[in-house]
Parts: sequence; C-alpha cells; structure tokens
Amino acid sequence: MRESTFASTTNLNMKTEASAWRALNAHAAAQLRGGFADRALRAAHGPAAVTWRAFFTVGARSLRPGFAERVLRAARVATDIPSLASHFALSASIAAVCLSAVLFVHQRNVDAADARNLAEWQRLVQAADDPDSNML
Amino acid sequence: MESTSTTALANLVRRAQKGEESALRELIISYQHRIAGFVYAMTGRSDYVEDLAQQVFIKMVRAIDRLQAPAQFESWLFRLARNTCIDQLRRQKLRRIFLPFGEEHENIPEPPGAVDSEELDALRHALAQLRPQDRALLALVQEGRSHAEIAETLNTSVAAVKARLHRAREHLREHYQPEHEN
Repeated sequence: MRESTFASTTNLNMKTEASAWRALNAHAAAQLRGGFADRALRAAHGPAAVTWRAFFTVGARSLRPGFAERVLRAARVATDIPSLASHFALSASIAAVCLSAVLFVHQRNVDAADARNLAEWQRLVQAADDPDSNML
Repeated sequence: MESTSTTALANLVRRAQKGEESALRELIISYQHRIAGFVYAMTGRSDYVEDLAQQVFIKMVRAIDRLQAPAQFESWLFRLARNTCIDQLRRQKLRRIFLPFGEEHENIPEPPGAVDSEELDALRHALAQLRPQDRALLALVQEGRSHAEIAETLNTSVAAVKARLHRAREHLREHYQPEHEN
C-alpha cells in the first residue's frame, strides 16, 4: 500500500516534469518563425549561385534601352572624367600656389622691414658718430 | 570552342582599337549587362548602375587603343569597372565628411520592386557590410573570373587572392541573414 503511494507520487512528479518539458519545448519552438530550417541553411551556405545570378540580373535590368548609343555619344563629346587622383592633384597644386603666394608676400614684408630697420640703424650710427648733430 | 570565342573577341577588340565604331558598339552591347550587374554588386544601388556603367565604357572607349593584349580584354574591362566603383565609393565617403546630410540622401531605400525577393535583399544587405575590395572580389568570382585572372587584375598573387576570398566569403556568410534577423 505504502509502495503503491510512493510509485504513484513519483509517477505524478515525472508526468508533471515531462509535461513541463513539453511546454518549454513548445514555447521555444513557437519563438521560431516559419521557414527557420531554410533560413539556417541559407545562412550556413551563403547565397546560392542562383541568388547571385538573380542579383546580377537586377543590376542588368537597371540599364535603359539604347545604352550603347548613349555611351558612344558621351565618349565623343564629353571631356575626360576627372579621377579622384586628379581632384587631389588639382587641390594640392592650388594649395601649393596659395602657400607660395603667402610665403612670397611674407618674405617681401620681412625684407622691407629689414631694409627700414637697417636704414634707421645707419641713421642712428651716423648721428652717434657726429657729436654736432642734434638728431638724437 | 572557347579558343574560337577568345579569338573572335581578340579580333573584335583589335577592330575597336583601330577606332571602328561598330566594333566598339558590339563590345558595349556584349558586356553592358555583366558590367551593370557587377556595378550593382559593388554599390547596391540600381540608380547608380547606368551612370557608373557609362563611366566604365567611356573609359574603355578612350583607353582601348592602349590595351597591349586584346585577349585579356575581359580582365582589363572588369579592372576598369572595379576601379571606377571603388573611386565612386571613396568619393561618396569624402562627400559624407563635408556634407553630413549626404548620407541620408544616399541611403534612401531602393524603390519597391527594385529588389525581387527577400534573398536578394539579404544579399544586398550582406554585401553592403563588406569592404568594397571584398565585394569586388566576390563579384569577380561570380562573374566567372579565375583566381589567376583576379590576381592579375588586383596585382597580387593567387595565394593572396585565395586567402582574401576565403575571408570575404566568411564575412558574407556572417551577414547573410534573409529577413534581416539581426
């Protein structure tokens, strides 16, 4: 009698645990959206060749009819398309010209100031040498 | 069969090098869809495709007489396409520094119907996460370029191409999540 009670209690506990596991599994499975297996496979293998081909086709469809004619016309008339390097070269040459202009003007101002100071010093030296002078 | 088509292509390129307009037109028509697909893989924007493809072919028309080996026309053309796209992406990046609102304008989503399916959208999204150089590598492989040809295009060794390709594929797989689960 006692053994039978123990067995039924254990059995009841196991049933509860099993149903809890089942509920847990069901809850976890409900979190997955439809097509999970396909998505997992796609993520594992990466894009298939057919996807790549379809992708390239989207790009190819973006060209309007008469593309070749437009290219040939543009190649005949358009000036050369400046590259990124040529943009940099142009910016660098403009910067170099500006810098040289600034340095040139600065050097001229320095030279003029030097000449003025030298002349002033010479005038002072002459005045110091000549005791009769009242320039000082 | 393949050598016949290679010879035919080399002859066509030689005619184009002499300035024959019909040969140039034939080259453009033969390659326009492949170059457009490549440009789309590089930029992820269908509204850039026409402009960039046009730039590529204008460069081709202007420089074809300097191509030494007509048999290597395809590798040369895809190198032009790769460099044009990378230049464009660099320009965009520079513009973003000076024009902070530029990015918002550039990131306007593709109009409905431009992308056919969830998978294509996922591929576009995954490619956008890669460096342009890696995108170019993957697109060149999909274009059927051999490792040796890619190595020649990128001025590097075949071993380096294989290593970079392996890394690029790993990155693509990491980001390739249809329905943008991230």
